[in-house]
Amino acid sequence: MAQLSLQHIDKIYDNKVQAVYDFNIDVKDGEFIVLVGPSGCGKSTTLRMIAGLEDITNGKLLLDGKDITAAPPKDRDMAMVFQNYALYGHMTVYENMAFSLTLRKEDPNVIHKKVLAAAEILDLTSQLNKKPSQLSGGQRQRVAMGRSIVRSPKLFLFDEPLSNLDAKLRSSTRREILLLHKRLKATMLYVTHDQTEALTLADRIVCMSMGRVQQIGTPLELYDTPANLFVASFIGLPPMNFFPVLVSGDELYSPHFKVPMTPEQKELLSEYQGKHVTLGVRPENVAEGGTVPVTVNENENLGMNTLVHGHLSEGGADSRITCKFKGWCDYKKGDVVKVSFQKMHFFDQESGNRIVKA
Amino acid sequence: MTEHVKPKLEMADDNYLRVDRMRYEKNKICSNLAILAIVFNALFFVSIYKSDVGTWYYSMLIGASIVYNLLFMMIVFLISEGTKNYKVAYSWIAIVVGVLQFARLLIYPRMARAAQTQSTGEIVQVMKDPQYYRVVIYLALSGTCLIVSAVIGIRKHAALKKHLESVAEK
Repeated sequence: MAQLSLQHIDKIYDNKVQAVYDFNIDVKDGEFIVLVGPSGCGKSTTLRMIAGLEDITNGKLLLDGKDITAAPPKDRDMAMVFQNYALYGHMTVYENMAFSLTLRKEDPNVIHKKVLAAAEILDLTSQLNKKPSQLSGGQRQRVAMGRSIVRSPKLFLFDEPLSNLDAKLRSSTRREILLLHKRLKATMLYVTHDQTEALTLADRIVCMSMGRVQQIGTPLELYDTPANLFVASFIGLPPMNFFPVLVSGDELYSPHFKVPMTPEQKELLSEYQGKHVTLGVRPENVAEGGTVPVTVNENENLGMNTLVHGHLSEGGADSRITCKFKGWCDYKKGDVVKVSFQKMHFFDQESGNRIVKA
Repeated sequence: MTEHVKPKLEMADDNYLRVDRMRYEKNKICSNLAILAIVFNALFFVSIYKSDVGTWYYSMLIGASIVYNLLFMMIVFLISEGTKNYKVAYSWIAIVVGVLQFARLLIYPRMARAAQTQSTGEIVQVMKDPQYYRVVIYLALSGTCLIVSAVIGIRKHAALKKHLESVAEK
């Protein structure tokens, strides 16, 4: 398959708006990379630059060591799957899948073999004579993927392929994409704003904001050791809780609570003694029982878990907290729950970066 | 178009694949030949009534001829759509309509060529030889296209039917 290298890629539009700043990544052969970030962060622009649909303003794009920065899309040997499927409505599934190969004037028998093989992989064999309008959203997206597979490209590019699907279909199609990646062992780049897709699909995630790469790492790295406040707040659902705290002695002081530090935390924050830092706690790391009082505003039962939205004793904008408790809880508005923080993340208040051991 | 049967790619030689492709590909050649028959008939239609002399064409026959040509275009369009999907009944209809095209050679073109009329004091042919040969060629080509389309359609239908039966047995 393919190795892709993006070196110092910038994208500046004609109106001087810069969409992507200094993007660098080396994608290994067979790797599944997910570009994740909020709308307008530059992830789709990056993907379109890789596909050749947008010009690269600065930087180099290498595919298997070959510079393809200025190569036209047709010479890049990449296949792209779009959010809106981009299928031809007047053609059958078979014709849609065969179309790109027909344009290349490949032998019809070879095309037939490739289309049937792709249809078998995607469980579309019984749908080959249907038109796209007769298919469900998930099936249409599978046809779009099939159209890519038949080309046997070096690189698969997915631009928010599941965004048009309902929640149930999204989940099943996501699994199919994962199986497809395992089966084809292809190099894939996938753009999404849905962190669940990113966490479940990716070998590595590229988290972007405002055109800049915030962190590149495995899903666990991004979840467990977010590089900054943006990644910490973006990855994880519900998002992480943040509180400004003062590091003093063995404890962390907030206007609403004080919590003791472990020796490791004390060592980590040794340079911040007497200073304020941002404390981050994931809702799932907030446990019932402890010393921090939370006044319940809302109780959401999800079956396996309960989300409790509340505020710390004094109230105010920086006192909101979300807790994810195991099992079924039945708190009423105004109840006070004492909680403890099982795992804490610390961020520099000025830079917003994670505080790491020197 | 065809019922679904699981593909047996492992045993696929070129001949097998050629027939197997018909399960998903339209029968474009038959369909296009039928459309070509409409085109040739249209050329015949616009050429046949051209006359510099007399009022020989002004009879009941011209109305019937126009109605037949309209019907012909509609029927052959349906044949084109039917044969596209390997429906053999449309191929049989195409043979009948194709033969009728040849039969039509004996009606208007032959009658107009044989007819004479008076023009500026002289007796002249209603349809001169060059025009006659032109309309004969158009009509013959139209009929030939339909018959060839029908023969190919019948053969392809038979091959596909046999293929589907053999695949279903396996």
